[in-house]
Amino acid sequence: MKKITIEHLARLEGNGGVTATIDGNVVTDVKFLVNEGPRLVERLTLGKTPEEDVNLVPRICAICTLSHKYAAIRAMEKALKVNVGPKVKLIRELMHLGEMVESHALHVFYLALPDYVGFPNAIAMASKFPFEVKIALEMKQYGNHIMKTVSGRYIHGENPVIGGFGKFPSRDELVWIKNRAIQFMPFVLKTVKLFAELPYPDVPESETLYACCHPPDKKYGIVGDEIILSNGDIIDVQDYKNLTNEFIVPHSFCKRSQYKGKPYSVGALARVNCLGERFEGEARKMYKKYFNARWTKNPLFNNAAQALELVYAFERIPGVVDEAVKLPDEPLVLYSQKDGKGAGAVEAPRGTLFHAYEVTKGLVSHTDIITPTAQNAEDIERYCYITAQKLLESGQEEKIKDRMDLVIRSFDPCISCSVHTVQVKRAPEEDWKTKIAALKTDVSPVIIGIGSPGHSDDAVGLELARRLRGQGVKEVWIEDEALEKSGAREADERRPLLFLDAVDFGERPGKITIMPLQHAAWNAVLSHRLLPLVTSQISFDQLKNSYILGIQPASLEDGEQISEPVRLAMEQILEQLKN
Amino acid sequence: MPDNKLKIGIYELTGCAGDALLIIDCEEELVNIFKAANIEAFLMAKSDNNDEVELDVALVEGSVSTEKELKELLEIRKRSKALIAIGICAGLGGMQSYFLDDKDWAKNYKAVYGGVEMTHTKPLPSKPIGDFVKVDYYLPGCPIGKEQFLSTFARLLAGNPPELFRFPVCVECKWRENDCLLNKNILCLGPLTAGGCGAVCVNHNLPCVGCWGPSEEANRTAEYKLLLEKGYDPALIKNKMANFSGTSIIEFFARFKGDKE
Repeated sequence: MKKITIEHLARLEGNGGVTATIDGNVVTDVKFLVNEGPRLVERLTLGKTPEEDVNLVPRICAICTLSHKYAAIRAMEKALKVNVGPKVKLIRELMHLGEMVESHALHVFYLALPDYVGFPNAIAMASKFPFEVKIALEMKQYGNHIMKTVSGRYIHGENPVIGGFGKFPSRDELVWIKNRAIQFMPFVLKTVKLFAELPYPDVPESETLYACCHPPDKKYGIVGDEIILSNGDIIDVQDYKNLTNEFIVPHSFCKRSQYKGKPYSVGALARVNCLGERFEGEARKMYKKYFNARWTKNPLFNNAAQALELVYAFERIPGVVDEAVKLPDEPLVLYSQKDGKGAGAVEAPRGTLFHAYEVTKGLVSHTDIITPTAQNAEDIERYCYITAQKLLESGQEEKIKDRMDLVIRSFDPCISCSVHTVQVKRAPEEDWKTKIAALKTDVSPVIIGIGSPGHSDDAVGLELARRLRGQGVKEVWIEDEALEKSGAREADERRPLLFLDAVDFGERPGKITIMPLQHAAWNAVLSHRLLPLVTSQISFDQLKNSYILGIQPASLEDGEQISEPVRLAMEQILEQLKN
Repeated sequence: MPDNKLKIGIYELTGCAGDALLIIDCEEELVNIFKAANIEAFLMAKSDNNDEVELDVALVEGSVSTEKELKELLEIRKRSKALIAIGICAGLGGMQSYFLDDKDWAKNYKAVYGGVEMTHTKPLPSKPIGDFVKVDYYLPGCPIGKEQFLSTFARLLAGNPPELFRFPVCVECKWRENDCLLNKNILCLGPLTAGGCGAVCVNHNLPCVGCWGPSEEANRTAEYKLLLEKGYDPALIKNKMANFSGTSIIEFFARFKGDKE
C-alpha cells in the first residue's frame, strides 16, 4: 500500500493536511486532518459576560473575524432580546460585504489562481500577470479598508458590539467607499470571466447537497434567520442542530457535520446554487451567462462562484451606502435582559457560520460554535476520495497529490477555524490486522459475508461467514439474511459492521485490504452490492465505524472453486476474527 | 542563487492566523517584503516552502497546543539564529491558554472531545512558545500592529534588534485626545495593557479589552491601585485581564497580591 500525504497544505489560512491511502488500484482511505490544536473556545467563553464573549470569539479566525463577530452578536441579540435600528443593520451589512470582498479577492487571486497558471505564489505570478496581481491587491485592500473603517481594525476590530456600534463611520468615509466600489466594477466583471472560464478538470464531479442562509424578501444575501438547502428544505436557525448534527472524528480537532446522514457543502458555490436565481443587475447577467450544470457538482467552481459574489458585493455596496447616509446614527441599544437563549447564523465568505448561546444571570452558560470548514470537512474528504480514485483508475496516480490540493483549496478552508498538507501513501502491510484489532477492542462488530456463489473467488465472503459460524462466532450474517433481519439489527444500532467480500483492487490474489464502509459507498465498483445493505438501514454512527474487509480475487469466472491464494487469505482472516 | 539577503521563515502554530494575515495585509509593502528578504517559508502565502534551510530569523505565531507543534517549534528554533514570537498567542498563550491548571484544562478538553482518542497528534494544554524555547523578541498584539511589524522588519534588515513599544494604551489614547473612559466610570483596561494598537477601542468610544496583554513597563502597581480607587472589583479586573493575557496573568496578579482591599 501507499500513501500520498500533503503534509502542509500551503496557501490556506491555517494549518492542516490530507492523507490518501492507496492499496493496489483502490483508494482505501482519505483523511482530512486539521493540525490546528484544540483551543476549547466553547469552554473558555463560559462564565464571561456577553460583551467579553463578543470580544473573544472573533479570535477563532482572523480572516472570518467579522463573520464571527456578527454571528455572535446576532445570537446574543436574539438571546437578550435586543432589537437594533435600520442603520445598524446596514452598517453591519457593509462590514460583512467588506469582509467578503477581502476574503474572496485574497482567495481567488492569491491562493487559487497560482495553481491554474503554474506559479507557486501570487508574488511570483506578478511577473506574468502584473495587472491582475495589482488590481487584486487593490480589491483586497478595499475590502480591508471597509473592515477597518467599520470595525476599527483590519483584523479583530472591536467597534461592532451588542446593540450597535461604538462609533458610526462618517458620511465622508461611507461616500468614499461607495465611489470606490463603482470604480472597481469593470475589473470585477473581468474577474468573473477569468474564473468562470478557467480550465477546471472534471475529475472531482459528484452531486452534493448545498446549504446556506436563507435571506428574506427573495433577495440574494449573506444573513438570514433560516437555512435553505438545495433540496428545498428550510430549517429555522434556532434549530440549526437539525442541519449540523456534529460529531467527532479521531484524526482531527475539528468536529464534523452531516445532514440526514450525508455530507453537505457550504460556501460561495452553495449560495450560488441555492440562491443564484435571486441575483439582480450585472450579477444576474453574469450568472445567466456562466452558470451551468457543472457548477452544481464540481467544487472547483467555488472559485467562479466567489468571483460572481464579488460582483454582487460591488453592486450592493453603493446601495447600502445610499440607504445608510440618509439615516441618523443610532445610539447603542442598552438591554436589561439577564437570561436567554439564542442562535445566530451568517454566511462567512467560506460558508454558513453558527453561534449559539445561553446566558444565565448575565453570564454565558452555554456556547456552541459551528464553523463552515467543520461543515465542509466531510465533503472535502469525499471529493478528495473521488478525485484520487478516478485518477488512480485512469492511471494518473502522479496527479493525485496536486489535484487533491486543488480540490481542498477550492473549498477555501480556513483551518484555524477548524489545513497545511496532502499526503498520498500506500497502506502498510497488514494494515487490516491493526484496524480489526482496534475495532474489536471497542464493541464486537456484526460480521456480514457477501458475494455470489458459483463465481469462484466471488464466494469468499459467504464462505468466510459460514466458517466463522462453524467456529461458533456469533453475530455473523450472510448477505440475504442481513437484508431480511434488518429489524433485529436495529436493536443495536451502534455496533459497527464488518463486511467480508471479494474486492478487485488490482493487487496480487489473496491480498487483504480494509477500507471504511463510507468510502466504499462512494466507490461505484464496490457499492453495487453494498448499497442495498447500507443506505436503507444503517445509522450514521455505524457507517462511520464500519469497514469492508476486501480480499483480492484471482478469478471471478464461473466456477465452484475458491483459488489457493484466496483460501490462504481466508485462513488469516479466520485467525484474526476468532474471538 | 546565493545572495546576502536575510533568510526569514514565518510559521503558524495554534491561533487565528491573524498575525500571518496581518503580514499579507501589508498590501503595498508585501512585494517589497518578498524582495528585501528571502522568505523561505510562509505557508499562507506560498507553496514552495523550504523546511530545512538555516534561517536568520523565524517569526512564530500561535501557541503550542499539540505534541506535533511542539516538535515543529523545537525544530524551527534549532535552525534559526533569532526567533521572534509574533502576537499574543505565541508570546503569552492568548485566549486559548485560559485554563492555567492542567487538570482544569483536561476536564474542559473532555467536555468538548469526550473520550475520543486522537490518532493524528496528542493535544496539549495551550502554552506560549517561550515555555519551550528561547524567544529573542516578542511583538505583542492581537493581532500584531502593522507599524510595529514593518518597523521591526526594517530594523532586522539593517541588522538591528526590534524597538518595541513599552508604554500602555493610555499614552496613545492621550495622543489621540480621547476623553478618559475611566472618568465616565467605564472600566477600561488601557492603563494596564500594552500599547501599539493606537488606542483603537477608545477611539471608538469603547473601553480597552486588554487584547495586547499586560504592558511591560507601565507603572502597573500605580495603575492597578488607580482602578481599585475608582471602586472596581479586583476580581472583575482580573477576569477581564485574563481573557487575553494567557499564562502571563499568573505573574501579573502575583505582583498585586496583598493589594486587595
